[in-house]
Amino acid sequence: MAPSRGLLFRLRPSIQSIKSQCRRYSQFVAAATDPTLKARVFISQTTNPYLNLSIEHYLLQKTPADSTVLFLYANSPCVVIGRNQNPWIEVNLGVLRNEKLDVKLVRRRSGGGTVFHDEGNVNYSVICPTSAFNRDKHAEMVVRALKSLGAEKARVNERHDIVMDKGDKEGILKPFKVSGSAYKLTRLRSLHHGTCLLSSPNLQSISKYLRAPAKPFIKARGVDSVSSPITNVGVEISKFREAVASEFRSMYGIRPEASDSFLLVDEKAREVPEIAQGLDELLSDDWIYGQTPQFTFSTENTTTTADEPLTSAWPTILRECEIGFTAKHGRLTEVSVDFKGRVDEPSKLTLRKKLSYISSGPVEMKQMKSPLINRELHKINDWEEVLPPFSGTDGEPDVDASPGKTMNRLFGVGNYEPSVYVG
Amino acid sequence: MRLSLYSRFLLRQGNAYRAHGFHRQFPSRTFHASARALVIKPFLLADIGEGIRECEIIQWFVEPGARVEEWDKLCEVQSDKASVEITSKFDGVIKKLYYEAGEMAKVGKPLVDIDIQGEIKEEDLAALTEPGTGEETQIQAQDQAKEPTRAQIVKSTQIPEPLPTPQKVSSPKGKHATLATPAVRHLTKELDVRIEDVNGSGRDGRVLKDDVYQFAKQRDSAPAQVRSSPATSGGPQTETPTKFSNTQYQMFKSMTNSLAIPHFLYADEIDFSNLSDLRVRLNKGLAKHPVNELRKISFLPFVIKAVSMAIDRYPILNARVDTDPESGRPILIMRSQHNIGVAIDTPLGLMVPVIKDVSNLDIASIAAELNRLQSLAAGGKLSSKDLTGGTITVSNIGNIGGTYVSPVIVEKEVAILGMGKMRTIPAFDENGGVVKKQICNFSWSADHRVIDGATMARAAEVVRSFVEDPDSMVMYLR
Repeated sequence: MAPSRGLLFRLRPSIQSIKSQCRRYSQFVAAATDPTLKARVFISQTTNPYLNLSIEHYLLQKTPADSTVLFLYANSPCVVIGRNQNPWIEVNLGVLRNEKLDVKLVRRRSGGGTVFHDEGNVNYSVICPTSAFNRDKHAEMVVRALKSLGAEKARVNERHDIVMDKGDKEGILKPFKVSGSAYKLTRLRSLHHGTCLLSSPNLQSISKYLRAPAKPFIKARGVDSVSSPITNVGVEISKFREAVASEFRSMYGIRPEASDSFLLVDEKAREVPEIAQGLDELLSDDWIYGQTPQFTFSTENTTTTADEPLTSAWPTILRECEIGFTAKHGRLTEVSVDFKGRVDEPSKLTLRKKLSYISSGPVEMKQMKSPLINRELHKINDWEEVLPPFSGTDGEPDVDASPGKTMNRLFGVGNYEPSVYVG
Repeated sequence: MRLSLYSRFLLRQGNAYRAHGFHRQFPSRTFHASARALVIKPFLLADIGEGIRECEIIQWFVEPGARVEEWDKLCEVQSDKASVEITSKFDGVIKKLYYEAGEMAKVGKPLVDIDIQGEIKEEDLAALTEPGTGEETQIQAQDQAKEPTRAQIVKSTQIPEPLPTPQKVSSPKGKHATLATPAVRHLTKELDVRIEDVNGSGRDGRVLKDDVYQFAKQRDSAPAQVRSSPATSGGPQTETPTKFSNTQYQMFKSMTNSLAIPHFLYADEIDFSNLSDLRVRLNKGLAKHPVNELRKISFLPFVIKAVSMAIDRYPILNARVDTDPESGRPILIMRSQHNIGVAIDTPLGLMVPVIKDVSNLDIASIAAELNRLQSLAAGGKLSSKDLTGGTITVSNIGNIGGTYVSPVIVEKEVAILGMGKMRTIPAFDENGGVVKKQICNFSWSADHRVIDGATMARAAEVVRSFVEDPDSMVMYLR
């Protein structure tokens, strides 16, 4: 690439001081698909998580088969779940929807567990030929970058994560996770991307996003997240980006003073048709919720573990009300509700009207041919509409003991107080 | 609903077919028609690394009945942190999916059943069969079984066809040269004859019973091994297991390796009249004044020299195919010396001694060297130095008989010339009168991975022009 095209810039000590560098997307496309370039560095200037992931996917698909690409990006606050995960198990959707922080929910294309991203977390992504793929190679590269910035105790652990040994409250040296990785392998190209917690201000509150109240009641296949104690590395973001880019360059033989040592990518990338398509897909409910593997929810699963907040347990007063459903692709395929007679007559009638069940017996019908079947779980905004209040033992509908309300709490919908959702 | 999200993948598959401009159906008149249905194989889930023994199927991109090409996506699987796209190794039709989306697929166990409709390379056979039974099925596949249907499958999976063309029927590997009725195959097995060796006199070069008998008779002229004689009338079938001799075993191994080469056949009729006249004149001279004890010269040295001159113009014929150790990609290794192997039938079997550096030899020296090698071969005294280093081979089966032949390229070479028998036929001269012409058929086989039809044709034309008009060789005398 000739410097005269004005496309690319020499790397200077402070990347942030470079202004208005991004050109029309056609030059980005040209740089991405140029077959003579064996290694490239791309740096994102947007913090839109969906766009960044779409750019990453585009680079995976379009860069030449024998080239290696580094892509660095940071996202505005969001929770990112893995390709095959269940948002109702991994994420507290109620908090997500209502907190002023405007945290988005994203499902990425690579596997692995759930992570929280914000501007203090830099993501690195390396795309290389599948024949050269190795889980540790680029994690080691990032560790070298961290060490060059003074983080002496950084290392790659056996799960291919990057950890830093730090003294905990008692002063004992323990590994704290600073980076997790995930991978996507296709026939010719493989992607390894990882997070890196540099200076996140939200470290303490991350856990509230990642504790899902419905978790104890859901049985599912798919990958579980493995939670680890986390910490910030504590280096400056721009320095980290430079260090990683320079390690990458020395690994792949790009001269740092070359005019094409890196390329900035910004919002204009969404004009590229493939990126726009990928972006739409990532934004669609069908992808975010519909890609959830089959799972069953049942209030009869009352296995609570020590660190589950009490509010996520099924209230004892509702013990006799059993609700369960199976969801495929995020849609309810089988639903069963058993109130064991604890619904009063007027409510029964409204229930009948609402649910139009066929069974003429008491409200112990098992299969409801109801408004619930085939509905998308994430679209059910208020369970109180479909489930009547429970009757107390004295026959009066007990407004507090409302299965609908509790379901709302578990799934983070309806009217509620955010504080209720946090343990 | 799920499929519409990924419809671009389906569209892509459909577009791939449209681009070819023809239906992906094979003409009904291939002789594999019945054998095809038997080539449904389970395709195993390959190891995805990290010691992972099972992984979850996230989604399928195909369903039973879908046509796939090599490299089309079959499904996406997920193991702990990695999501992996599994692609097809074969062209064919998916017959059965072993798992549903969401189930755990086991590594090393069948993932889908695929009806394979392209060539299967030896190394891909391993992806189809369970590891334990791998060798078994390969040996079975090579065994020329008595059942004709099995033999037909053997042919359909073993003969690597040239790059797929719409006309499979006329694919020029000499399909018909190895085509024979079950009775004939039975006979070849009995007489321990390789059907490729026999030149068929039937329609399109088919091998008939008589051809086999003739071939066996000629071979048996030197009493070498114990062989079951042709069944006399009456009496039951007798089978006598006979071990391969060393030479036979070498041939077996070498030809098995040659199977990996996609052959195409290029045959031509050469007018030997001029060469014949020249030879008669030369031999008269040699009889009076022998050169280096050479009293007679045959056609072969002329042909060998002509081939060497063709290689000068088309050096790719002298190359060999290898793999680049760094990138793992195939590369061509060009060779400077023309070491032309000559197939000789010896009492011990087929041997291919090599005349080294033909481009620097004159025809008399070639003839002398040929004589030397032939006498050594007859005595079974060929050294390994004589037998190795060949870059291209000439096989004069016409000495014994045969018109067209489909020779098998020797390992580490890319072309071979088979010469048929010389015969006299009537032809027309420029005045419309009938004259006698001596013709001989040259059948070239070349490695279609490296040599295209045009190159072969041009090289063959060079050889033809030198052989038909040997005077032109004078211009290149050194």
